[in-house]
Amino acid sequence: MSDPQVILSVRNVYKKFTKDIKYNMYYGFRDMLSNPEATYMTLREKEFWAIQDVSFDLSEGEILGIVGANGSGKTSLMRLIAGIYPLERGALRGLPGQKITSVFALKAGMQPLFTGRENIHIKGAIFGMSKSEIEAKMAFIEEFSELGEKLDMPFGNYSSGMSARLAYSIAIATDPDIFIVDEALAVGDSVFKAKCFDHLKTYVQQPGKGVLFVSNNIRKLLKVSSRILVMDKGKIIHESGEDIRQALHFYVDHCLRHLEKGKRAAKLKTVTDYDL
Amino acid sequence: MSSKVSGNYPPAENLVPLHGNTNEQFATRLIGYARHLKQYSYLLQQLIIVDITNAYKRSFIGLSWLVITPIVSVLVWILLHGAGIMEPGKTDIPYPAYVLLSTSIWSFFQGAYQVTSNVISNSGRFMVTAKFPHEVLVVEQVIVHIINFVIPFFINIVVLLAYGIDFSWAALLFPLTLIPLLFLGTGLGLLVALLRVVAVDFSKLADQCVTFLMFLTPIIYAPQIKLTWLASIVKYNPLTYLIGFSRNLLTQGTLYEPYYYFVFSLASLVFFFICLRIFMKYEGNLLERLINV
Repeated sequence: MSDPQVILSVRNVYKKFTKDIKYNMYYGFRDMLSNPEATYMTLREKEFWAIQDVSFDLSEGEILGIVGANGSGKTSLMRLIAGIYPLERGALRGLPGQKITSVFALKAGMQPLFTGRENIHIKGAIFGMSKSEIEAKMAFIEEFSELGEKLDMPFGNYSSGMSARLAYSIAIATDPDIFIVDEALAVGDSVFKAKCFDHLKTYVQQPGKGVLFVSNNIRKLLKVSSRILVMDKGKIIHESGEDIRQALHFYVDHCLRHLEKGKRAAKLKTVTDYDL
Repeated sequence: MSSKVSGNYPPAENLVPLHGNTNEQFATRLIGYARHLKQYSYLLQQLIIVDITNAYKRSFIGLSWLVITPIVSVLVWILLHGAGIMEPGKTDIPYPAYVLLSTSIWSFFQGAYQVTSNVISNSGRFMVTAKFPHEVLVVEQVIVHIINFVIPFFINIVVLLAYGIDFSWAALLFPLTLIPLLFLGTGLGLLVALLRVVAVDFSKLADQCVTFLMFLTPIIYAPQIKLTWLASIVKYNPLTYLIGFSRNLLTQGTLYEPYYYFVFSLASLVFFFICLRIFMKYEGNLLERLINV
């Protein structure tokens, strides 16, 4: 049996940001007047690497879980892959004509004064769908979101769980080849989340499909991921093979590394008992 | 527990660079912009609907406000004139009609500047959480601005008729004469949109200059000025000709300083493309700086 096709290749990617608001503006202005390309690999005062020499592959059929403490660079990396941030250093490669759908903030672009049904058109259009494509997917979105008559209520009156149902259903209706889910399933009821996880697992069985699943919830990652990348300070510090549990154990242990030995072991046991 | 990072990936076959080339030539980028606008035409339509109807969604009379608001403005002008408060000197047409039309044309320029100059700062959060071509947002803002201009303008036309303005056939060319103002306002706005992210002081200064520019343009006073220094500024101010030409064509069917109008129109077009090129080049890079602000 041949190896699954690689559908996304990330090679030696870097991205730097500025810590200080004034320096951030100053560098932004200066870079407009000069050529920052030549000196990109040198950090200036107050700058730091948000992403540093990151390389990995995503193959078809994979749900690649990406975990890391807050500020470890997960979202910045996903924004680079989604094409929201420009790429200054490194290479991002995919299959020709590949469709990437990314969900960072579920409510992004959705309008509180418009009904759920109207928001399907707005959000679908943001994802690049035409009117006919959205109408063709309407039955799927209605069925998947299970919102029924609530689709005709103003979106602003939705609970966070209902918003998640609608936004997630629209995103998945775009039928992406690479689906980036960045903490998008942090809200919502358990029944819907379970449905989404089941759907993701079935979804990636189709040829050419893969998922990048960003979360800090190790229980979710354990249930859904087929492989794990652990990030810290902009770097990938651990990659799992098939043993997801071991990689998540590494992540928790790494988060607790600053504690003294006894406390660390006790905390590790608590987290392991609850989530692993 | 030891970490494990492969770091050694073989080159993957059959793959192509994602998201295209960011160092394309200006002409190639322009074609890309046009292609994106076609591809995302439904998004453009949706954003226009959202922008126009959002403000009136909770109103029982809804979009009627688009007509009521300019009617109230016009009534205020007529009342002020009737009370004899505004008598600035001799104008070719009745003064309230002159001011109404001039401010309307001025607002066309200033509105184009305002909507485009705020395009990144107002939509930054949206831009960093959803991937879509940002040119759609710029075009949407300009279209909504034009719609917001056209509705009150028709009311102004009725008022001009009431003041006895006799329109000639040449007045039909009036919309075309506004195009240079749109280019000038939009070009300036695109440039300031970038400055709002990285040089807030410059952008605030630009806002003040545009506001002040209104007083250096014959809008609430006639172009014939006795004050020497102001007369010199008005003489070299492109807006004097861009606004005056449109105004005279509409109200009198005559061409106000046609030579200067065409020179400044051409200059506005060139200025717009220079600004557009700068905006295209840096907008993506500045977006990542916006998130920290």
